[in-house]
Amino acid sequence: MKSSESTLVHEEAGSPVTRERKTVESARTKGLSRKAKDNLAGYLFISPWIIGFLGLTLGPLLFSLAASFTDYNITSKMNFIGLENYKRMFTMDDLFRTSLFNTIYYVIFSVPLTTAGAILLAVLLNHKIKGMKFFRTIYYLPAVLSGVAVYFLWMQLLSPSTGLVNTMLGWVGIDGPAWLFDPEWTKPALLLMKMWSVGGGMLLYLAIMQGVSTQMYEAADIEGASPWQKFYHITLPMISPIIFFDVITSTIGAFQIFQEAYVMTENGSGGPGNSLLFYNLHMWNNAFEVFDMGYASAMAWLLFIIVMILTAVNMKLGKRWVHYEGGNGK
Amino acid sequence: MKRGLALILTAFMIIGLLAGCSGEQSAEAEKTKDGKVIVDFWTFWGSETRRPIIEKIIDDYNNSQDKVFVKHTFLPWGDIWTKNLASVAAGNPADVIVNDINTVAQRAENKQVEDLSQYIDDSFKQKFYPHLWETVEYDGKSYAVPFNTDTRLLFYNKTAFKEAGLDPEKPPATWAELEEYAKKLDSKNGDRYERVGFYPLWGSVGASSWMTNADNGNGFIEDGELTINTPKKVEALNWILDWKERLGEKTVQAFQAEFGSEQANPFIAGKVAMWVDVGTFYTQLRDYGQDVDFGVAPIPANEEGSGNWAEGGGFVVEIPKGADHPEEAMDFIEYLTDVEAQKYWAVKNYDNVANVKAAEAALNELEGPDKLVYEATVKNLEQTKMFPVPVEYPDYHSRLNPHIDNALLGKTTPEKALKQAEEDIEKMKK
Repeated sequence: MKSSESTLVHEEAGSPVTRERKTVESARTKGLSRKAKDNLAGYLFISPWIIGFLGLTLGPLLFSLAASFTDYNITSKMNFIGLENYKRMFTMDDLFRTSLFNTIYYVIFSVPLTTAGAILLAVLLNHKIKGMKFFRTIYYLPAVLSGVAVYFLWMQLLSPSTGLVNTMLGWVGIDGPAWLFDPEWTKPALLLMKMWSVGGGMLLYLAIMQGVSTQMYEAADIEGASPWQKFYHITLPMISPIIFFDVITSTIGAFQIFQEAYVMTENGSGGPGNSLLFYNLHMWNNAFEVFDMGYASAMAWLLFIIVMILTAVNMKLGKRWVHYEGGNGK
Repeated sequence: MKRGLALILTAFMIIGLLAGCSGEQSAEAEKTKDGKVIVDFWTFWGSETRRPIIEKIIDDYNNSQDKVFVKHTFLPWGDIWTKNLASVAAGNPADVIVNDINTVAQRAENKQVEDLSQYIDDSFKQKFYPHLWETVEYDGKSYAVPFNTDTRLLFYNKTAFKEAGLDPEKPPATWAELEEYAKKLDSKNGDRYERVGFYPLWGSVGASSWMTNADNGNGFIEDGELTINTPKKVEALNWILDWKERLGEKTVQAFQAEFGSEQANPFIAGKVAMWVDVGTFYTQLRDYGQDVDFGVAPIPANEEGSGNWAEGGGFVVEIPKGADHPEEAMDFIEYLTDVEAQKYWAVKNYDNVANVKAAEAALNELEGPDKLVYEATVKNLEQTKMFPVPVEYPDYHSRLNPHIDNALLGKTTPEKALKQAEEDIEKMKK
């Protein structure tokens, strides 16, 4: 015991896990009463959270897992039907396929576009020019606004004949599409809307860019590096941890797209020809329109598995390109 | 000492948290101070116009007897039914709730509503329009009482009729006339339409209404049989596509994107000359379109004599499964659906009520255009069809609508779309 403890302390002194272990161990050696009481008080203090977690998060989570194998309809039925719900997704429910396709389409385009957009914006806003604070505020503002009001604003901006977007396209001689009324253009319309609010990600990038040591840029200047080379060889590696974080969180977020389609399509139906029927919207319809909670639970768990696998892949790939300054990232 | 205090505090926090879970039930008193049973009544009627009307009815009921006290709870549209279901599942529902008329059977099947048969006899049933009463019956039992309904009419602009050289007292009676009139009523400035005579998908009407109208009033599922891919329904979709082609996609979209309600309603603003909407659209005309000289008529028939079929909706009042005071609740429901309360609702809202005598009594009280429109809607109930969702096909709409969308967007032909829709829906039969 002693030797292992000392190596641990030696290796990672200061990490909270180790410290806790140390106190537990020493409590055992010194006699339980005082430390045990301390621990008990600690557990009691966090117990509201633990109870909340067990009752409001873990409980429902496990319940929905169980429900996914039943025909649960909230009020009367809960018969075990095995993998029937999962089978139904792949064999019978063509709206499931549509919704999965729509969601993946959205993820594939929105994640790279918003990430690149946020980085580009951050690079532009990272210059020391007079009045820059003003522009930083302006570009960040859309991230502050949120929710239904913004969707309504965009519905007006995207209006085919009177909307600002098509009016502006008209100035340069482009006959704009009908956006939310045309199934070919509904998803691009949402992407356009998403691009408008990249300010949130931009702020993260800007923060870490400000922390990049100027010495490196000065050194690069002396070597005669071009702006692009400086960006590619200095800025990009230095901000890669944030890119990594941003890609993972926005992938998860994009998979959960719901509100936009629910608000911006007629009766939350998923738009013309189901072109905006996203996975979560289809799941919501099953749960709260038809009250087929068992099937909706199964859909939720499948989404969970998809997102988990993708995150794991991201983590694995991340090791290749994420650069942690002064450490291996652990 | 400090630690002891911390322990006590934490203990209190836990107790508080647990108490929070069960607090709701004990907080809701079952009786008023003077011993009346409290009946909780959930509606979505919270608007400035509707709330005072329903609350007056509730007050009248509360003052009429000394056993029951009805408490009105307003829940927003969309939340009310989800919340109802959650409360049924939790075993603590409202006593009376307003719910959708077309899905009573679903709720009966899923044991979400109380069976009201023991309170209902034939003389009670006969107070209501038969086509409405049908919607509340399931497996030979009654699960709700119809409250109100609606029907669709053709509103037309008489001034525009005169301008176009049409007789303002002679609205179109058939689809062919509708087309002929519409062309005359179109008014263009160069390539741009200033006024569109008519477009079948504008107003409170959709492709499904026209398909039903064409098909002798038959819906998509009749007596358990799928009647989606019928020649008349295909014809109706083709007919709608013809309109779209004539006006042009751009015109349709441009108009549609600018539609609003009240002053911005295209019929009120004079941008569209003929418009299908529910009877209560009249209140908008009255309040925001004083200058509009309008007439009302039944929706034109597909061919002469094939019927002016319109689609209807509406609401019922019912007792959620597990309610505490079903007897008292039923007493209130009887009051709510009886002549006096229903007449008051009809006169104030121009809404079609389910009680036949109340509808007739309301007619006698109304005058002028109020009466004109209300009379037309009451008369139209005879040709109004309800389409309750069959329990075997609980979400057939979500399968059908995309196929209709695709046909209207020109991605496929109406023939193929309806064939595919019928196959898809056949597959999901429960």
